[in-house]
Amino acid sequence: MRKIIPLIEKEVKDLLRDPRIYIGLIIPVIMLPLLGSIMSTAVSTSIQTSMVVLKIAVIDADKTRLSKEFLNLLKNTDMSVYEIDGTDLNSAINWMRELGLEFLIVVEKGFEEDLNNFRVANIRVYAIIYSVGLGSIGKYNAFQTQLQNYIKIFSDMLIYRLNPNVNAETIRKPLNFTFHSILKNNVVKINPQTFLSQFLMGYSIIVPMILFILSISVVQMAATATAVENEEKTLETLLTLPVSRYEILVAKLLGSSIISVIGGVLFTMGFLIYFESMLKMPGMDISTSFYQVLPPIHLESFLLLGISIMLSIFFITSLGVVIGALSSDVRMANSLLGFVIIPIMVPFFLILYGDPKVMPLAIKLVIYAFPTSYPTLIAREMIINPIPVEAIFGIPYSIVITTVILYVTSLIMSPEKLLTLQHKLRARTVGKEKRQ
Amino acid sequence: MFLILKDYGLNAPFNKKYSNKLLYGSFKTDFCLVTERMEEGSETAVVVKNLVKRFGAFTAVDGISFEINKGEVFGLIGPNGAGKTTTLRIISTLLPPTSGEVRVFGNDILRDADKIRRIISYLAEEAGTYRNISGKEYLSIIARIYFDSEEASKAVEEAIEFSGLGDRINDKMKTYSKGMKRRIQIARVLMTKPKLAILDEPTAGLDVFHAQYIRNIIKKYAENGGTVILSSHNMLEVEYLCSRVALMHQGHIVIQDKPQAIKNRLNASNLEEAFVKVVAS
Repeated sequence: MRKIIPLIEKEVKDLLRDPRIYIGLIIPVIMLPLLGSIMSTAVSTSIQTSMVVLKIAVIDADKTRLSKEFLNLLKNTDMSVYEIDGTDLNSAINWMRELGLEFLIVVEKGFEEDLNNFRVANIRVYAIIYSVGLGSIGKYNAFQTQLQNYIKIFSDMLIYRLNPNVNAETIRKPLNFTFHSILKNNVVKINPQTFLSQFLMGYSIIVPMILFILSISVVQMAATATAVENEEKTLETLLTLPVSRYEILVAKLLGSSIISVIGGVLFTMGFLIYFESMLKMPGMDISTSFYQVLPPIHLESFLLLGISIMLSIFFITSLGVVIGALSSDVRMANSLLGFVIIPIMVPFFLILYGDPKVMPLAIKLVIYAFPTSYPTLIAREMIINPIPVEAIFGIPYSIVITTVILYVTSLIMSPEKLLTLQHKLRARTVGKEKRQ
Repeated sequence: MFLILKDYGLNAPFNKKYSNKLLYGSFKTDFCLVTERMEEGSETAVVVKNLVKRFGAFTAVDGISFEINKGEVFGLIGPNGAGKTTTLRIISTLLPPTSGEVRVFGNDILRDADKIRRIISYLAEEAGTYRNISGKEYLSIIARIYFDSEEASKAVEEAIEFSGLGDRINDKMKTYSKGMKRRIQIARVLMTKPKLAILDEPTAGLDVFHAQYIRNIIKKYAENGGTVILSSHNMLEVEYLCSRVALMHQGHIVIQDKPQAIKNRLNASNLEEAFVKVVAS
């Protein structure tokens, strides 16, 4: 162990001082919150501005008492309403473009007659798309909400005409469903649909997403750090020191993992700040109270999640170390990375979009074969179910598979075997490039 | 049957006959006690015997034999592709031989590789440095692998002095020139006080000043009792540094002796001329 510590120190210092690495670590902490804040500010400003000056054009083709009442209703809101004479759509749109109006409401002929006969009255709405930014989405959402209010006011009016003593709300919505979700053994007053959509937005996407991005950066870093030893001709010296091949690889694994954990913490911080800014955006109101009503998550679950994340990082790093060791240079390591990234992605998406419990055994085995699956599985299950037993077995399994990978790599890590393997891989890569 | 071996060295007649059987366990004894290894206490630091190394169909080293005595600077000289680097890589435990025998201070290169790594230090021909680590940090990392912390600090201070890099020792090694990198590597090799320093082209590609600096360090190390095996295709350098040399050509040793003896034998004014004559003949 005494001999490994200086080697780990070498790995950490060499990696942490590499601009390609430290810039990569710092970027998420600066860029993600900045991006979140820019987006949030841009959308809020855009919506506020457009709501204040929302300009609507109206064509009243019916010209009756009720259609005029509808127009007055529009005029009494915060919007500027411009009434257009005539019914020609093209000239109305041209006129709207000149004035920068965004919405056109056309009250069709027969509006009053339909309503008086308790038939649905038709109103056509046109929106001129001036821009496709996020601000526009919020603006159109707000306009839609406003239209829903008009429907409610008109239905109130019609119901009152039918019977002034009846509560309009009861007629409109005679049944009231109160939804509850049962999570673990707790009854929580949440619509299951809301729960699933918000849960998907929250835990089950954030955790795998962070892990996925982290995994890619970890495997790349470990592969590069090891391949650089070949490229810069430092490996030969390392292999003649009085340390075993296995210790050299463990030092690489731990050194890269330390940097990965730092990177993971910084990325998570950046991502959470970004996510929080996104939640504050109008129209994206996923309330944080949603998480407060959920059943409490036990400390053991978080501990298990933490351990499985660490083991997942070790596993990925060990694969990166293997790739780096088999590569004569960084370029070759990067081209071999594709072989590792694909298997990492498969279980991620299988768990994200499917339910492993109901999957065929073969697919389940594929999922459970990768230690990277377990954190995603635990993060997903820890709220709604007890931690699955497979995930618990995954802990010793991950340790064993990582150790085996490192041990096997240490066996092939002699210059002669490496040179032979690198030569074969290079020949294969060159052959492939030529064929292409 | 009990067998007690008092003389297990390569030069022992018993060992010559039975050493392979002992190594591979086919010698049927109930008890075998190795009480002494002759080379441990002998003057021989390295024994290379009928060494062959093949890479597929290509034979890099073809049955070479030589011995290096303790405190000696032994030179392998020859053109590129002569087999010098392969020989040094085998002695430094990086490559296994195809056949033949190599012992370093009595330790077999295959069986006792771990022991050998503790007593040697190897400088590869193109040994690189870590870009983002300072020279001092690098020396400290290596020193702590060999020594405990107090001894390590002392060794690092000595190595800094060897290197002659002054304040630049605190700079990241990516800012070093080729000569500076070589100086830090030589300092690293000698800092660990190896029983055997293996130096592959220690001055290759260096300017006159850096090359001379490194030669002087090697010379001083040898004067203090260190054993060195080095390779070079600079024959004048070898003549200056080495007490004995072996001229290698196409995987063979064509002649080995003291530089002066070789020159006398071949009636040559320097080793370069001697090499040309011996290869031509």
